[in-house]
Amino acid sequence: MDLATKRKWDNAVWGYDLMNGYGPEWRWAPSKRRLFSTMEGKVLFLAIGTGQDIQFFPPDRDITAIDISDQMIAQARPKAERYQGRLELRPQDVHDLDCPDATFDQVFTSCTFCSVPDPVNGLRTLRRVLKPGGTIGMFEHTGSRWFPFGLMLHLMTPLTRCLGPELNRDTPSNVRQAGFVDVRVEPVYLDVVKLIHAVNPTASALF
Amino acid sequence: MERRLYFLLGDLLSNTGVGALVGLALAALVGEAWPAVLGMVLGMIVGDVIALPAALLLSVPFGATEVMLPVMATGMASGMVVGMLSAIGAVSGGFAAALGALVGLAVLAATYGLNAYVRAGYASTVRDGQKTR
Repeated sequence: MDLATKRKWDNAVWGYDLMNGYGPEWRWAPSKRRLFSTMEGKVLFLAIGTGQDIQFFPPDRDITAIDISDQMIAQARPKAERYQGRLELRPQDVHDLDCPDATFDQVFTSCTFCSVPDPVNGLRTLRRVLKPGGTIGMFEHTGSRWFPFGLMLHLMTPLTRCLGPELNRDTPSNVRQAGFVDVRVEPVYLDVVKLIHAVNPTASALF
Repeated sequence: MERRLYFLLGDLLSNTGVGALVGLALAALVGEAWPAVLGMVLGMIVGDVIALPAALLLSVPFGATEVMLPVMATGMASGMVVGMLSAIGAVSGGFAAALGALVGLAVLAATYGLNAYVRAGYASTVRDGQKTR
């Protein structure tokens, strides 16, 4: 496990719900609810954080949710217990995911790949645990190609990296580099907040 | 485009408020005898220094990226405009605040327009059966 990243997110628990639990969640609620409404079969969710996204999960689903931070998982547990379905929380690092190959039908992420230290390898791990033909649905914020937003996000990233996320990642490119196909990017706010949908190719689709 | 009244008012308050605050600060800071370019560059820097903590604070009730990006752009733009005008000639506090708020409103309108353009572009590609890259 990446202990530096784990420590960073353990420390970020303080004030996390205050900073992210009100305005940002209210604002993004319609998009998140729509994305998660497509959950079907055996679902992997990362990273669950303090469990703010659980309120948007449709009921009666079979979800395994992971997070690198024990402290975050501890905060998420009461919310997970109120979920009407099967929701298992596991402290795990996406880089060394302890799951057999082709376990899940779907993977969902929510503001996750701004923070994963090695995003392409993390996404490759997700491909490994996804069944061939399985899908990934992501709610992510990224960098911007427009001035002045792109510049501002670049300038702020050295600061925000110390506290948590990087603001200038190109997550759609990372998804393609990891080998996902049929990548579809749906803007939520400008070209910064977006829904990313992609498919884990079947063996025949690779040739 | 955002249609919820709470967020529309929040965006309006955030951008006009930060624009006015930056305008007041620049009117007090930049002297009449300064070169206009210096006033503009200092205005841009001071504008963003004021806008960053304001954006963090305003993101708690009104949303993260949707507040942070326009508010930071407002800080930069209103700082440049008021800084330059203050260097050219004496600008009263009231006028600087009003001008800063107006710039904030213009920046907000521009981001709303850009957002509508991006989303319309996506909608048309989906309608045409293409995938967005």
